[in-house]
Amino acid sequence: MSRVLVALMLAGAMLTGALSAQAPLPERYREAGVIRWGADAEGGAPFVYLDAGQPARGEVGFEVDLAKALGELLGVEFRRVQAPYENLVQVLDRGDCDVVLNGFEPTPARRDLVRFSRPYYIFQQQLSVGPQVRDVRSLADLVGRRVGVLGQSRSHELLRAQPGLEVVVYESNVTAYEDVVNGRNAASLADLPIARAMRPLFPQLVDVGEPFDAFYYCMAVRRGEPDLQRALDAALGELLANGSLERIYRAWDLWVPAEARLGDAEVASAFADDGVRAAGAIDWGMALPLLGLGALRTLGISVAAFVFAVVLGLVVALLRLHGPRPLRWCAVAYVELLRGTPILVQLLLLYYGLGQIEGMQLTAMQAGVLGLGLNYAAYEAEIYRGALSAIPRAQREAAMALGLTTAQSLRQVVVPQALRLSLAPSTNDFIALFKDSSIVMVITVVELTKQYQMLANVTGRFIVLGLVTSGFYLLMSLPLAYAARRFEQKLDRDGA
Amino acid sequence: MIELRGLGKRFGERVLFEGLDLDLVPGRTTVIMGRSGSGKSTLLRMINQLERHDAGVVRLSPIEIPAGLPHAEWSRRATALRRRTGMVFQGYQLFGHLNVLDNVTLAPRIVQRVPRAAAEQQARSLLELVGMAQAVTRFPARLSGGEAQRVAIARALATQPEVLLLDEPTSALDPGSTADVVRVIGDLKARGFTLAMVTHDPVLGHQLADELIELD
Repeated sequence: MSRVLVALMLAGAMLTGALSAQAPLPERYREAGVIRWGADAEGGAPFVYLDAGQPARGEVGFEVDLAKALGELLGVEFRRVQAPYENLVQVLDRGDCDVVLNGFEPTPARRDLVRFSRPYYIFQQQLSVGPQVRDVRSLADLVGRRVGVLGQSRSHELLRAQPGLEVVVYESNVTAYEDVVNGRNAASLADLPIARAMRPLFPQLVDVGEPFDAFYYCMAVRRGEPDLQRALDAALGELLANGSLERIYRAWDLWVPAEARLGDAEVASAFADDGVRAAGAIDWGMALPLLGLGALRTLGISVAAFVFAVVLGLVVALLRLHGPRPLRWCAVAYVELLRGTPILVQLLLLYYGLGQIEGMQLTAMQAGVLGLGLNYAAYEAEIYRGALSAIPRAQREAAMALGLTTAQSLRQVVVPQALRLSLAPSTNDFIALFKDSSIVMVITVVELTKQYQMLANVTGRFIVLGLVTSGFYLLMSLPLAYAARRFEQKLDRDGA
Repeated sequence: MIELRGLGKRFGERVLFEGLDLDLVPGRTTVIMGRSGSGKSTLLRMINQLERHDAGVVRLSPIEIPAGLPHAEWSRRATALRRRTGMVFQGYQLFGHLNVLDNVTLAPRIVQRVPRAAAEQQARSLLELVGMAQAVTRFPARLSGGEAQRVAIARALATQPEVLLLDEPTSALDPGSTADVVRVIGDLKARGFTLAMVTHDPVLGHQLADELIELD
């Protein structure tokens, strides 16, 4: 056997064995044969998404291809786990997935919480404006205007660093673009791959300026798993070296000149030392005012929505009991429709649905108050209907015998007594609404719960911030319950 | 004077009244008696149109309410008629959310637009008349049956009705309270009020009646 052949065999063995020898996949993953990767497929093009044109293909995306290539190389199955983008860190921490692979950027806040792999993609930023917006070439031209962005992304970070912008945070790039198309916002900033992938959905948008900035997509693993990180790093290095990565990116039209730097030592080792970083600290001087502001917003939305719900609920209940027949049917339909459909859908319809109609656009606060108010009016209406029915018919007759008209009898005699009966269930409803109001975060309102989420995501201090946030809720709901109870006691003393 | 002419009332198949004539003559007390289910309360409630009649006419000149009016027109006329009558119910039906004084002033203020101060002054003298002047700030749930019924009488009188209708005013009361209420009603009769009273108490009926109607 020639020396050359032996040398070649040795070299081959070293090459295939290099990976496992340098950084073997931790045993538990080898044994399980599965690595679960967390990603959000909602609005997830080009990372991982369902192709609306060809749903039969199942989930597609360049990260789906990447996961497959990694799996083949490491000898395990990469199995995807659905998780909301904003909660990927928590899902990882809880152990519901092993790796985050979802266009996940190593922002400073996240680097405190998880361990990042070497970058597998270098991306730039693309600014897109609405069809009506003419005078904008860069972020600096957007001072004083509303710019939408995906929460906790690199784009979000860049917008926050730009003074004078009114930044509106979304949970999905689709809704962020949606609000540029319908004119609520002037522009939206997003990663270039996202901007390109979404363009067919939003042909009205105009990309302005050259792509700028350069940042990385990395995989994330739990802080306590450096071995897994090293195994992934090695696998990525292999895919880069053997050209697989470039093939995948070219297939998705994502290979840009900047990717050549992926092999640079400084890029490859950019986040290698993160394991020694300390957990995030809470800056209470910043956190408390933010939570306080969120609490005020929660209170404002809840009070406004409830006033609306009480008035409308009473009208609906009176129409149902005493209105002309067609209006009675309308009242029944209203209650059944609003009670029978999820408030989440109602809010999305009000905000994004109406947003598509010219002249019908509501601000997020308006849509939030209206949505909660309309929904709770249905429940209030049922409470009032019960209470109104509980007032004896003879009370109304006594009022009418005095010469009051039907309307006067209701107004002076029946309704005031019914409202007293409704006080306890209504208070209950208000406290429920008060807590449910956090749902308006889906239409970009940053209220108390959302503020908590954002702070907790940045610092990782879910427990202590959660307790403080709960404290804010209690500070607001307990006095209300107390006042209602005192009022009821007073009524009891009167025997009313 | 309230006149009922050719009045008819049926519940489904059952004919309760047919061709009934009745005058409530000013200054006189008409007592309606009869066994349970004879329709004596229905008759009283037809006088102020808490029950509609099926035939005939109820008249309190110039208000004329023939049977079969369209609802809106009937409602308008019935309200006009009720503004000139008062009614006392077997179960008092005071308004639970209002104190005694406000119970009595409600109709004058809302219906007749009497200013609050004047309405309260008048209410106090009516409460004096029924012996309840000391109770103005109390709430109905804190009154005994006899007290509540006397307040109810003051309330019914507050709009200065031409006729006071009393529907079994004492049948929910204990003997002591009954005596109080009967004394007040006798007082009203003595002062020349026009009364129409339903009762199943023959002693009370015969004691008060100028006209006695017995239904069977």
